[in-house]
Amino acid sequence: MEKITSFSIKYGFIIVMIASFVGFGLAEPAFWGWHNLFSILLGVTIYGILALGVTFTLVTDGLDLSVGSTAAMSVMMASYFMVVMEMSGIAALVTCLIIGALIGLVNGLLIVKIKIPDLLATLGTMFLIQGLQLIPSGGRSIGTGMMLPNGDEAMGEFTEGFLYLGQGRVFDMIPTPVIFMLALGIVVYVVLEHTRWGRVFYAIGGNAEAARLVGANVDRYRIMAYVLSGLIASFGGVLLAARVGRGDVSSGAGLLLDAVGAALIGFAVLGARKPNAFGTIVGAIFVGMLLNGLTMLNLPYFWQDFIKGAVLVAALAFTFSLAKQR
Amino acid sequence: MTDKRGIEVRNIGKSFGATRALDGVSFDFKPGEIFAMVGANGAGKSTLIKIICGYYPDYEGEILIDGELKQFSSPHDATNAGIATVHQIINQGVVQTMTVRENLALAELLNGDGGSVLYRPAQIDARAREIAAKMGLDDIDFDQEVSELEQSERQMIAIARALATNPKMLILDEPTSSISERETEKLFETLFRLKEMGVTILYVSHRLHEIERIADRVGVIRDGTYGGVLDAPFNVRQIVTAMVGEIEHVDRHAPVIDGSQTPKIEVRDLVIEAGQPPINLKIHKGEIVGVTGLIGAGKSELASVLFGLTQPVSGEILVDGVPIYSKSVRAAIDNGIFMVPEDRANNAVVADFTIRQNITLPFLQKFFSNPLGLLKHGHESREATRMVKAMGVKCESELSNIGELSGGNQQKVVVARWLMTTFNLLILDEPFQGVDIRSRHDINAHIHANRGDRAILMLAADLDEVLEVADRVVVMNHGQIVGEQHITDIDRDTLLHWTSQSPEDLKLQA
Repeated sequence: MEKITSFSIKYGFIIVMIASFVGFGLAEPAFWGWHNLFSILLGVTIYGILALGVTFTLVTDGLDLSVGSTAAMSVMMASYFMVVMEMSGIAALVTCLIIGALIGLVNGLLIVKIKIPDLLATLGTMFLIQGLQLIPSGGRSIGTGMMLPNGDEAMGEFTEGFLYLGQGRVFDMIPTPVIFMLALGIVVYVVLEHTRWGRVFYAIGGNAEAARLVGANVDRYRIMAYVLSGLIASFGGVLLAARVGRGDVSSGAGLLLDAVGAALIGFAVLGARKPNAFGTIVGAIFVGMLLNGLTMLNLPYFWQDFIKGAVLVAALAFTFSLAKQR
Repeated sequence: MTDKRGIEVRNIGKSFGATRALDGVSFDFKPGEIFAMVGANGAGKSTLIKIICGYYPDYEGEILIDGELKQFSSPHDATNAGIATVHQIINQGVVQTMTVRENLALAELLNGDGGSVLYRPAQIDARAREIAAKMGLDDIDFDQEVSELEQSERQMIAIARALATNPKMLILDEPTSSISERETEKLFETLFRLKEMGVTILYVSHRLHEIERIADRVGVIRDGTYGGVLDAPFNVRQIVTAMVGEIEHVDRHAPVIDGSQTPKIEVRDLVIEAGQPPINLKIHKGEIVGVTGLIGAGKSELASVLFGLTQPVSGEILVDGVPIYSKSVRAAIDNGIFMVPEDRANNAVVADFTIRQNITLPFLQKFFSNPLGLLKHGHESREATRMVKAMGVKCESELSNIGELSGGNQQKVVVARWLMTTFNLLILDEPFQGVDIRSRHDINAHIHANRGDRAILMLAADLDEVLEVADRVVVMNHGQIVGEQHITDIDRDTLLHWTSQSPEDLKLQA
């Protein structure tokens, strides 16, 4: 019995994942096509990347609720910089990342210095950013040819190079955002599991006072987790802007819950029972695969949120209930 | 048939995982007495209290009320059986945003007895007045919000409410820890009145002078076991003796200290809190100094300053005659000053980390990673294994989760993390809290064998523990060092006298 428990804690999630992969393919062979598999991956990239940022905050026993609106802000700002201010693609990219890091810094300072609880602080900044991003464009979506408040037309456009970030394909096959997600996943994995910084992040999440009493600068690490979260979220937003090719006011909708969901589902992968980069990516891909497969089997689109919620609750219940028996 | 035997606990035992917190503890509490419960930190008092007030339903042994066996499965059961508790943190016992009246009648307010869901002001008021009258709380303004009251008034309300259930026993856990001296007097008056009403008062406190004044009997818990009962009259010294135990004559070889040498560590005119007298202390090379004193004597405050956690008002700390300055824990560690903090679970152990990860945590940067921050797992593993073996940590491997170890073995890991490298001063704050005899011995032996020419400062309230380890015993009392003795000429009576002097005595001497 004990063996079964520890086996299912460790491999249960992966087994379910493989089983559904096989099941969908048998029911609908087109599911296994290269084109479909990459479209699954492409579909999860944006929130998968956001989830990697969320993972950092979860590791330090916090949570960043502002990642969705930070990404949306990044979409609007990238568009505004290129279309209205006619900046270059690279300048727009760098500015967006700086803005994202600054949002993270503000979150971190609110939480660490002013000591607002993490959920409340980032809930506040979430609304703040959601509103702020609408102001430059007067509440409208941004695209080439849009009317500016002074009556001129916006003449700038998204640059080729910038669009490639979201729409390109490496070897004419793998979408660039997928490459970015996997690369970032590897970087976050290495940082968290194989560097001393990662070790300290986890130690702070496990017992902040103990970390402080072995000399860790807990405040600085906490702030850094939010800065990284904001930075990564704004990068996700840049990719989204590049994929859509315009600054859509509603582009951030749903990103937050998908990202937090993926990071939490990651707890169940390989019995980690803690936030981890590998689990986060696998969790994101699992949700994408499930939705894709069910859609192919003609599940109506309005079922999607329900399925995501069910997977999240099931994964958490599984992780925490089995873990308790240990 | 009911008799008035009061409340008895028989052979109470309780384990938390591998740690035995209480073992075969028996006491009887008589009606109309003030029974004080004492014991060092971690001795098991609070565990016993929690069992009596129904907080831990799974315990070994029996609780009898007036001779009748009771089994509590929740605090509510205990209250119904006549055991009322006022917890240490006063503000957990009152609702600050409600008025005095509503707080007094809180039970009625919440239960809506009579089946009514409506707020019935007249009934609430009547009940509140009834409860207040019993406590003698007549001069209090019923319409005042509790947040505007003094701490002692809030406490009175909590006690009044506890008494509303007509309990046989009232448990007060550290009732004077957050109220002033004047407020304390008021509390005592109330206690004496309750005593006359026949209520048993179980009084838990670290303040032995108070106990000397008010208690009829004192029960002692030592290392989770029964440590005896004293009948009044008694004095603080007798209580301390009962708490820390008789000690055997210690005959141990301590290093010969050459007083003319520069001390390894010198604390010079250190003022920790404005208005307090300065502290001076020298620790020589290879010397283990033990500091003892009751809770609040200033031991932890001294450790905090040495470890860079708080900044002193004035004064200096010198290492090998050179002044050092530690503005943070990191700076203190860089100065070669390490600390094993008290309260292992909250301050030292990362419970979901492996043994290895717990050992290497302070020195990841120095030893276990390259400039890119990448961890050298192989090196880390070898060092951790070496330390686990050297300290005799009982575990499957260095990859076991530290949470699976017993308290003593966890403490070995915590000590091991600082012994990996050389240091100037190692501070051990209450290192034997919740640590079994065997592990105590292992840790002690390891520290003795590896002290070299370094300085070690051990802090503990329990005199026995200090005498087990130290070459020299320093006694602190009310923020000052009041005396010291070398291990070769320990005079226990003098040490206890120093420990138990009251603030007034200290002022007279000064």
